Amino acid sequence: MRSRSSVEVRRARPLLGTFVQISAGGKDAIALELAINAAFAAVAEVHRLMSFHDPESDVSRMNRDAFHKSVRVHPWTSRVLKGAYEFSRNSDGVFDITTARQLVNWNYLPRPDVRFSSRSWRDIILEEKCNVRFRQPLIVDLGGIAKGFAVDRAIETLKANGVMAGIVNAGGDLRVFGPTPQLIHVRHPTAPGRAAGMVRLRERAMATSGIYFTRKKDGVRYVSPLLDGHTGRSARELISVSVAATECMPADALTKIVFSLREKAAPLLERHRADALLLERDGAPSWIFHSPCDTHDQT
Amino acid sequence: MKSEFAFIALPISALIAPSAFAVQYLTVDQAQRAIFPGKSFTAAPVNLTSVQRKAIERASGVRVLRDEQQVWRVSGGGWFIVDEVVGKHEFITYAVGLNADGSVKQIEVMDYRETYGGEIRDEKWRAQFVGKTSKSPLKLDSDIKNISGATLSCRHVTDGVKRLLAFYEVALKR
Repeated sequence: MRSRSSVEVRRARPLLGTFVQISAGGKDAIALELAINAAFAAVAEVHRLMSFHDPESDVSRMNRDAFHKSVRVHPWTSRVLKGAYEFSRNSDGVFDITTARQLVNWNYLPRPDVRFSSRSWRDIILEEKCNVRFRQPLIVDLGGIAKGFAVDRAIETLKANGVMAGIVNAGGDLRVFGPTPQLIHVRHPTAPGRAAGMVRLRERAMATSGIYFTRKKDGVRYVSPLLDGHTGRSARELISVSVAATECMPADALTKIVFSLREKAAPLLERHRADALLLERDGAPSWIFHSPCDTHDQT
Repeated sequence: MKSEFAFIALPISALIAPSAFAVQYLTVDQAQRAIFPGKSFTAAPVNLTSVQRKAIERASGVRVLRDEQQVWRVSGGGWFIVDEVVGKHEFITYAVGLNADGSVKQIEVMDYRETYGGEIRDEKWRAQFVGKTSKSPLKLDSDIKNISGATLSCRHVTDGVKRLLAFYEVALKR
């Protein structure tokens, strides 16, 4: 039976280029609203720091100056850059935040007013005290990982504000916490207005990548913003990849890697205790990877 | 508790048209309280003249599709505006709270409707939702609370806010 006083508050705001939805459950609606406001503030802070479009963001400051001098970034930006670096290293560059160059060329991102050329994640130097330098003139975009990080910060904020159960969903990258498992629907890869199926999650994050909204024609061929940094090719297949992990930032980054590497990503998934689900164009799963330790914290 | 990562495919019968997702977050009342807690509101709807409309379009670079705008004056200063935007697949009603100086205080999505099938630009199709939030005909997906999948961009709302800031300059500021 539902507790007499149990309420759920659900809000959505446009942030991170998408819609961020936060739900929280508890006894006191006013307290939940305050907690949700604080969680949105954390997401807005990530947006402010890591937006490619905002000329004052850490990302824009790095893109402008980091080739000429060390740029000091916020500790959160530093954490995302370190995370991105690890995923680049462990995927042999399949995950690469310097593919921003290609995204600019295909008009997925606005052209910044700086000189940049074809370089890789190896040219990013993460120095002490959150300082960043580029060895070569390059630009970075954190679009493939910052959403996941923002979801984690929002969850952290809800918990710190005493919320017992909640869900944060940033345009499909989400994380749930609380005692009750939550049903998460996964979009159909070619009919995104439909759910292909669902997954039950408890105390876990899941991110899904697909290209149904973003694929477009560039001349005669299709391109998408989902790029394999190793080959420089963009994903063209209308499949979707979902990855579940303890935190949303790794789940977010790993979807991009699994999209390119498919089954070859298994060792990396294993290392992150992550699960993966690959849906083919007809919506049927063609590969499901079970984390070797898909029991989590309180087994 | 062991968390099995199991995918439950939906039967084909769940794939019939219409294919859509819809969520109502806030009514007008609730949005007012969420953005301006403890304040009172006086309706002050605005009907734009064609001169004003053109000025807004010039300043914001965004087209004005409707001349009437739902506006409330907030006690103690500030404005509460309800607006809607239509994208290729989405129809979104949202509220913007402006501080007394015209800066954005808060944006809240009130209604989010996403559909695939081309009806979204049809006024009649959209009209069926106005004030009818609890018995939406899109029952099919009413159980879907959380969906994981690639992102629908919020660009139309971002443009809408840009348009409302120009609207403030043209029609509200004094």
